[in-house]
Amino acid sequence: MSQPIAIESADRRFGWFMAGPSLAALFLVILFPVFWALFTSVHDYTLIAPNFDNFTGIGNFTKAIEDAEFRHSLGLTAFFVLAVVLIEFAIGFLIALMLNTVERFKPLYYGILLCPLLMNPVVVGLIWRMFLHPTLGIVNYLLSYVGVGPVNWLGSTKVAIWTIILVDIWHQVSFMIVLLLAGLSALPREPYEAARVDGASPLQSFWHITLPLMGPVIIVTMLIRLIFAVKTYDLVYIMTRGGPGVATDFISYFIYRTAFVSLNIGEASAMSAILLALVLLLTAYLHRYMRIVR
Amino acid sequence: MLRRCWLGAAFAVAFSAETYAETVNILMETVPDTEYVKTLLPEFKQATGIDVNLEVVNYAEMHTKLVPQLVAPKGSYSAIVVDFYWVGEFTKAGWLQPLDERIKADNIDTSVYVPKLMELVGTVDGVTYMLPFYNYAMGLLYRKDLLADEKNQADFKAKYGIDLGPPKTWDEYLKQVEFFTRDDMHGVVNQGLRPDPIAMEWSNYLFANGGDYHDGNWTPTLNTEAGVKAVEQYATNVNKYGPVGSASFSFDEAFNVMAQGKAYSYITYNFFRAAVDDPAKSAVVGKVEIMPVPGPTPEQGGSLNGAWGWAIPKSSPNPDAAWTFLKWVESKDIAKKRALQGGSPTRTDVFDDPDVNAKYPHAQALKQMLLTSHNFPVFTYTPQLVEVLGRELSLAVAGEKKPADALMTIDAEMLELAKKDGKIK
Repeated sequence: MSQPIAIESADRRFGWFMAGPSLAALFLVILFPVFWALFTSVHDYTLIAPNFDNFTGIGNFTKAIEDAEFRHSLGLTAFFVLAVVLIEFAIGFLIALMLNTVERFKPLYYGILLCPLLMNPVVVGLIWRMFLHPTLGIVNYLLSYVGVGPVNWLGSTKVAIWTIILVDIWHQVSFMIVLLLAGLSALPREPYEAARVDGASPLQSFWHITLPLMGPVIIVTMLIRLIFAVKTYDLVYIMTRGGPGVATDFISYFIYRTAFVSLNIGEASAMSAILLALVLLLTAYLHRYMRIVR
Repeated sequence: MLRRCWLGAAFAVAFSAETYAETVNILMETVPDTEYVKTLLPEFKQATGIDVNLEVVNYAEMHTKLVPQLVAPKGSYSAIVVDFYWVGEFTKAGWLQPLDERIKADNIDTSVYVPKLMELVGTVDGVTYMLPFYNYAMGLLYRKDLLADEKNQADFKAKYGIDLGPPKTWDEYLKQVEFFTRDDMHGVVNQGLRPDPIAMEWSNYLFANGGDYHDGNWTPTLNTEAGVKAVEQYATNVNKYGPVGSASFSFDEAFNVMAQGKAYSYITYNFFRAAVDDPAKSAVVGKVEIMPVPGPTPEQGGSLNGAWGWAIPKSSPNPDAAWTFLKWVESKDIAKKRALQGGSPTRTDVFDDPDVNAKYPHAQALKQMLLTSHNFPVFTYTPQLVEVLGRELSLAVAGEKKPADALMTIDAEMLELAKKDGKIK
C-alpha cells in the first residue's frame, strides 16, 4: 500500500521539478509586474519623484473614478469593443461558413485572409491614414466617381470612431475567420448526415447543430478578441491621437498618457488595475457562461 | 620567432586601442538636422579620435527611451538632445548636468545664440543646462506667385481696399485667407491633430492676436478677448477656409496639401521652407516663401518659438567626451556647415554669415522670425499643458465646446499645473 503512495509522491515531486522553471518564469514576467503595478497604484509614484514614500491607499483609484475623462474613455472603449467584436464575429462567421464548404484553393484563401493580420498595427494605421486623407487619399478619390463628396474620415467627431472601427475590422477580422474555421473543420459529420436523413434544411442544420456545437469555440474566440480589443492603442495613436475632441480617446491611450506624458505612474497603475478588474470580471462571466452552455 | 612576437604585440595594442576607443552615444530624432550632424562626424573622429554613435529614432519613441536611461545611476547615453517640452521636467527631476563651469573653463560664448532660444533650451533659473541645437520656430509659408499675380492684386484691392502683398498684420493675413479660398484652392491649411500639432499651431494665432499664456506671475490669461478671437479664427480657418479633414491633419499631411499647390498658406515649422523647393516633395517649387507670422501690428510678430538643445545627462557614462562633442558640434565652423546643408541655426553669427545668406536668401527672414517669436510656457508640466490644449482646442474646433468654455477649462487646468510646479504659491 505504501509503495504506490511513494511513487505518487515521487511523481508529484518530479512534476514540480519539471514545472518549476516555467512557473518561476511565469512569476517573473507576469505576476511580478502585476503585483508591482498594484503596489505602485497605492502610492504617489511619479517618474519625476520615483519613490514609494507617500502611501495614498485608494486615493489614485477614487481620483480615476471621479475623473470624467477617464469614465468617458472607459465608456468609449466599451462601445468600440462591443462594435468590433460583434461586427467582426458576424463577418468572420459568415466567411468561415462559406470557406468551410470550399474544397479547392483553400490555402490560397487562407494566405490572402491572413495578410492584414500579419501586418503591424502601426503600419496599418499609417497606410489607412494615407488612404483616408480627405483631399489626397485614394478612398475619397474613388468615392468621387460614384458621386460621393469628400468624407471627413478622421476629422469629424461623429465619423472618426466608425473609421477606427472599420480599420480595426479590416485588420482583425481574419483572426475571427481563422479561429472559427478551425472550429468548423473539427465538427463531427455524423449529426449533419443524420439531420439530412431526417429532412432538415441547411438553415435548421445551422441553427440546431452548427451553432450549439460551435458554442465553446465562439465564446473563446470572442473572448480573446475582446481582450485584445480593450488594449487597442496603436491605431488611435497613429490615426487620431484620441481626437477630434475626445471622440476616439480609448482607455489604453488615456492610461498611456497618464503614465508617459503626465509621468504619473501611480495613477496610471490604478487605472490599469481598474481595467484589469473589469476585464477579469468579464472573462470570468464568459468562462462561467461557457461551462453552462457545455 | 621574435618578428612574430612583435607582430602579435602590435596587433594586440592596435586591437585593444580599437576596442577601448572612447565612444559618445547620443539618442537623436529622425529630422534633417540629425542627418546633417551625421555627415560631419568623420571630421570629429579625425580631430579628437572619439567615435560617435547616433541612435536615431522617431520622436514618439524618444521620451520613453530617454527616461529609463536618465533615471538610472549610470545610463547609456553620453549626451542627449532635449525638446523644449521636456526642459522643465528634466531639470526639475535633476537629470541634467549644469554646464556653466565647463562653459567658463572653455570660454564658450553663449551670447551668440538667439536670446529667446537660450531662454527656451539653454538656461533654467539662471543655470545653463543646454546649448541650443536647432530651432523649429513656426513661420508663415505663403504663395508668393499668387500675391504677384496682377489680377489677384486688382481683385484684392477692389474687395478690401488695401494692396495685396506679404501680410503686414494678422488681420491682413486673415483677409488673404478668405480671398484665396475659391474653387479648388484653400486660403489656408491647418494641422488640427491633437495634441501637439493643434496646440503649437494655435499658439501662433494667440500671439498674433496679442494674447499670451500667462502673466508675469504665471496666472493663466487665455480666456481673454485675444484668446477667444484666436480660437474663433482657428475654427473658422479649419472649418470654412481649409480643406476637409484638416481638423485631423498632422504637420506632414498639412504640408502635403500645401506642397500640392492646394492652399495659399500654412503656418508651420520653418524647416519646411527648404522642403517646398524640393521637386521630389513639392509641386510649387519656387512659388512659396516664408515670413514671420504677422502680429497685431507691423512691429509685432506672432510666431511661436521651438527648439532642441544639447545636454549632458547626470547618468552620462563619459561626460567629458560628451562635452568635447558638444563644443565641437556647436562651434561656429560646424554650425555653419550644418546650416549650409539646410539646417536650422540657433546662432546669430551663423544667420549673419555671408555664405549662408548667399545660399539661403531667406536666412534673414528666419532670423527676424526668431527675434520676434514668442516662447511656449516651459515648466515641469509643459507636456500636460499641451495635452490639455490639444483636447480643449480640438473640442472647440469640432463645435462641441464654446471657445470661452474651452479656454476657461485650459486656464483652470493650467493654474493647477502651475501650482503643482510651485510657480504659483
